[in-house]
Amino acid sequence: MSDRRLGTEVPGAEAPGSNGATPPEERGDFIGLFPEPVLGPFRRSWAWFDDRTGISGLLYKGLYEAVPRQGGWAYTLGSATLVVIIVQFFTGIFLLLDYVPSVTQAYSSLLYLRTNDLFGDWMRGIHLWGAYILMLLIGAHALRTFISASYKKPRELNWISGVMLFFLVLAMAITGAMLPWDQASYWTAVVVTNIPHYLPVIGNGLRTLWRGGDFVGPVTLTRTFALHIWVLPALLLGLIGGHLYLLRRHGEFGSWVNYRTTTADPGREVAERVRHAEPPYPTRGADPQYSAPSQTVDFFPDQLFKDTLVSLVLVVFIFVMGLISGAPLDGPANAATLTYVPTPEWFYLPLDQLLVFFPTALVGFGVFVVVGIGATLMLALPFIDRNPERHPIRRPDVLIPAFFLIGTVIYLAMLGVNRLYNL
Amino acid sequence: MSSRISRRQFMVRGTGAMAGLITAMLSVPAVGFLLSPLWAATKEIWVDVQGGSIDDIPEGLPTARIAAVPLGSGPPAPPVNRVVYVTKYQGKLYAFSNICTHMQCDVHWEPSLDLFECPCHGGLYAITGRNVGGPPPQPLPQWVHRVYTGADGKQYLRIANRLEEQI
Repeated sequence: MSDRRLGTEVPGAEAPGSNGATPPEERGDFIGLFPEPVLGPFRRSWAWFDDRTGISGLLYKGLYEAVPRQGGWAYTLGSATLVVIIVQFFTGIFLLLDYVPSVTQAYSSLLYLRTNDLFGDWMRGIHLWGAYILMLLIGAHALRTFISASYKKPRELNWISGVMLFFLVLAMAITGAMLPWDQASYWTAVVVTNIPHYLPVIGNGLRTLWRGGDFVGPVTLTRTFALHIWVLPALLLGLIGGHLYLLRRHGEFGSWVNYRTTTADPGREVAERVRHAEPPYPTRGADPQYSAPSQTVDFFPDQLFKDTLVSLVLVVFIFVMGLISGAPLDGPANAATLTYVPTPEWFYLPLDQLLVFFPTALVGFGVFVVVGIGATLMLALPFIDRNPERHPIRRPDVLIPAFFLIGTVIYLAMLGVNRLYNL
Repeated sequence: MSSRISRRQFMVRGTGAMAGLITAMLSVPAVGFLLSPLWAATKEIWVDVQGGSIDDIPEGLPTARIAAVPLGSGPPAPPVNRVVYVTKYQGKLYAFSNICTHMQCDVHWEPSLDLFECPCHGGLYAITGRNVGGPPPQPLPQWVHRVYTGADGKQYLRIANRLEEQI
């Protein structure tokens, strides 16, 4: 029991389970428990604080988590997603300082921000480009998880919470697009708040609730604003906490590369690995082959360095694009236009294109049944894919249909681009 | 066993009941507040269609006019300019909105097609408002309207702040 809990600190345990991990005495140089006597005012203050909060133990646990030795660059996408979400919260709070959620003032408050605030437009630009990069990152993160089969037992809920986070971010994007109350935003609000009414029975009521009446008006804006700045972010934060908790519970290990065996007797090697695995491995009832990773390093500094580098590159890109491209502001909202064509953001193009294909009585089917089937397939993936294999080559039964579906979504987006921009 | 509950059972059930009461108390105003638009009455307000008399609108050519339409519900807000497609066809007068019944984009009369066209997803309507192509599930709705004769003897159009059919 004690050797399981202490992991690498047990003599002789280094060989299979912990190659490359920092020896405990070196970790103690950075943080750790201070033996008496503690000298100097700073160390004494830190020791006082640490005695009362236990923060060094928390840091130790967080920083010296065993993470995969292989595939570290592929594992940076999740933390980069988190960093960009933090950028979104940060810039969003600053935009709130000037933005007025009212149909008469929203647009002029953004004009004010553009003309009077130093870097006001840059802040909007960062918020918009942060959203774009967030979409790409979540897509890449999900694709990496999918290809490496990391969603398999016992990480089903990691996958499901991730898919739910993806849906929440999509909802953040659509509600955020409705706030500036320029032409693009007004017509987005009209189309988006109209979609719920194709639901049977409760549809009309839902549309009325969101709009605050039959037509888009002041209540539409305040309710969407409340969703965007409080309801959805609160759900997002809760789910991110759950997602990270599950990540730490099951470890970052999901890919086949983390479970390769090198000796002539794989069964013995796997058994040896499981015996020496650091907590929380192995998860009860999991396939022993995929229970304990072959090689680990400490999260700090090996993985954290890679994570921070990738995040830095992306944040620099977001800041530069926010500055040189910025966020557009159309003319003020005008309901009496004849030829305005609201174009959805690129990540909504596949859904918009679906609307073209389903005429009259089939609109509701296209909007809810087709999209609902897609969402259910994504959520239920860990239960649909019963194949225990992790290597992509040995999973054609799942990968081929999935890539066909992904190809279809991209094709829909291309059709949408063709329809909206080459009219 | 006696029918009396133990001290422990009392506290377990009591805790559950009190927590449930707190949740219920919070839900009542919250749900009512959230759902209030469902039973809020929309005040019917009539406004003039701008652009003067409709006498000079040609037969068979839907003509876009503007009306400043108040919402009639929700917090005070200025009226919203909306399009009224005044259409005379085979002796009948129509006061179409330009709200597409598919996704409520802005429909316009396309003379080259002799149809109303929606730029969003390609919905088409005939001059009588009938949905003849693309995804729209219903005909183009008309504003609730009436024609009246002005002091100058010409005909004018007024509309209410609601559509004839729910779309």
